[in-house]
Amino acid sequence: MTAAVTLRGVHKSFGTLEAIAGIDLDIEQGSFVSVIGPSGCGKSTLLRVVAGLEAPSSGDVRVYDEPATIARRHKQVAIVPQNPGLLPWRSVRANARLLVEINSSANRSTTSDPIELLDRVGLTAFLDAKPYELSGGMQQRVALVRALSLGAPLLAMDEPLAALDEITRSEMRGLINQLVEGRGVTTLFVTHSINEAVALSDRVLVTSPRPARIVGDIKIDLARPRRGDVDDDSRFFELCSEVRHALHGGHGGEG
Amino acid sequence: MKRTRLIAPVAGLVVFFGVWEAFVRVFDIRPFVLARPSRIVRYLAKFPDDYFNAALLTLRHAALGFAFAIAAAVFIGAAMAASTFLEQATQPVLTLIAVTPFAAYIASVRVGFGFLSERPVIFIVALVALPAFTFAAVDGMRGADPASRELLASVDASPWEVLWHLRLPSALPALFTAAKYNTGLALVVAYLAEGPTGGLGKIGARAVANNEGDRLWAAIFAMAILGTISLVLLNLLQRAVMGWHASQRTQRV
Repeated sequence: MTAAVTLRGVHKSFGTLEAIAGIDLDIEQGSFVSVIGPSGCGKSTLLRVVAGLEAPSSGDVRVYDEPATIARRHKQVAIVPQNPGLLPWRSVRANARLLVEINSSANRSTTSDPIELLDRVGLTAFLDAKPYELSGGMQQRVALVRALSLGAPLLAMDEPLAALDEITRSEMRGLINQLVEGRGVTTLFVTHSINEAVALSDRVLVTSPRPARIVGDIKIDLARPRRGDVDDDSRFFELCSEVRHALHGGHGGEG
Repeated sequence: MKRTRLIAPVAGLVVFFGVWEAFVRVFDIRPFVLARPSRIVRYLAKFPDDYFNAALLTLRHAALGFAFAIAAAVFIGAAMAASTFLEQATQPVLTLIAVTPFAAYIASVRVGFGFLSERPVIFIVALVALPAFTFAAVDGMRGADPASRELLASVDASPWEVLWHLRLPSALPALFTAAKYNTGLALVVAYLAEGPTGGLGKIGARAVANNEGDRLWAAIFAMAILGTISLVLLNLLQRAVMGWHASQRTQRV
C-alpha cells in the first residue's frame, strides 16, 4: 500500500490543553477516510495538522512523502472548511478560481477547469452570482468546486456539511461521492455524523474525547460507485452500528 | 417611487432656505453676519467662473490629501494589523494627530512647505484624514473572515496576496464609513489651509479681510455645494464597489 498521509507519534498541545495524544496513522492513496468523534475532541486540529496549517508539538506528519508544511507550500492539500469561506465580493466563478489564482507559481499540472466543475454541481446559471444570492448548500458546492479545481492529491474537509439541512446534506453526500470517486484523490473527511461517514468512506476512524486518540478503525466495504440509495442497504446499517459502538465504547481504552 | 423619495428632502431644503430668507429680511441682518440666500445666488451668478474654478481647486486639494491619506492608512494599517507591537506603538501617535487642532500649526506647515505652494494644504488634509482612515483600515483588516484566512494559508498565500485578496476588501466597509466622516473634514481643512494659496479658502479669507459679506457667503455656499456633491459621488462609488455588502443591498429594498 502506498501511503498518501503518514502520521507517527503525533501530539499536539495548545499551552496546557492537550488536543491530540499520540496518533499513528497511514492513509492509503486514493482512499476516502473519515474521522469521527465527539465534538471538541481535536479532530479538526488533526485535520489542520495534516493540512500543514498547524505544526505538531511532537511527532512527524508526511503528506505524499513531504513534511506537511512543505506539502502545503506545494499546494498538495485542498481544504473545504465548515463555513464555506467564500469571499463575498467575488462572483461564484471567481470564488471557484481562488485557490488556483493564489500562489499560482506553485500550481500543479492537474488543476481542473472550475467552469466545468460548476456545471457538474448544477451552478452554471449562477456563474456571475455573488455568494449572498446562493443558498447554504449552493455555497458549499462552490467551496467543493474551489477545492477540486486545485487538482491537489489530498482533499481535507472539515465538517463541510455540518451547517446544512438534512435534505441538502443527503444531496451533497451524493455529489461528493460522484465528484471524488474515480478522481484518484485521497480524502480526509472530518465529521460528527455517523451516516455521513459510512456513506462516503472507505474507512472510518473513530477518535476518543479530547485529547484525541484513534479508538476505532472500521473498513467500509460498501460497493463503489455508490448511489444515492446507499443508505437503504442493510450492510449500511450494520456498519453504522459498528461505528456507533466504537464511538460509545471507546471512551476508556484503545478500541 | 424615486419621485416620492425626493419630496421630503426637497421640502426640507425649501423650508430651510425660506426661513433663512425671511429671518434675514425681518430682522434686517447685515450681509456680513448672514447674507440672504437670494443675494448669495445672485452674487454667485455674477462670477460663475471664479467660483467654479476656485471650487475645482479646493476639490483638488481635498481629493489629493484624501488620496495620500488612504494610501498611507492602508500601508500603516496593514502593518498594524500584522503586528500588535506596531499597533501599540502607532496608536498614541495617531491619537495625537487626531486631537491636535490643525488650525494651530497651519502657519508653521505653510512656512515649511512654501507659503504659496499647494503642498502644505495637501499635507495638512492628508495628516488630518490619516487617523480615521488608519483606524478603519486596522479594524477592517482584523475583521477578515478567519475561515477565508485559513483557506488562503492552506495554499501558502503571500502576505501581499492576503492583503490584496482578503484584508483590503474586508476593510472596504470601514474605509467607506471613515471616508464619509473625512469628506467634510478634508474640505474644511482645505478651505482653512488654502488662505494664501487659492481656491474657495482664498476667496473666503480675502472676503473676511475686506469685510465683503456677499463674497464670503458665496464662498460658504459654494463649499456647501461642493461638500454635498462630494458625498453624493462617494455614495455612488460605494454602491458600485460594494454591491456585495449587506449595507448596500438593504437600501434597494
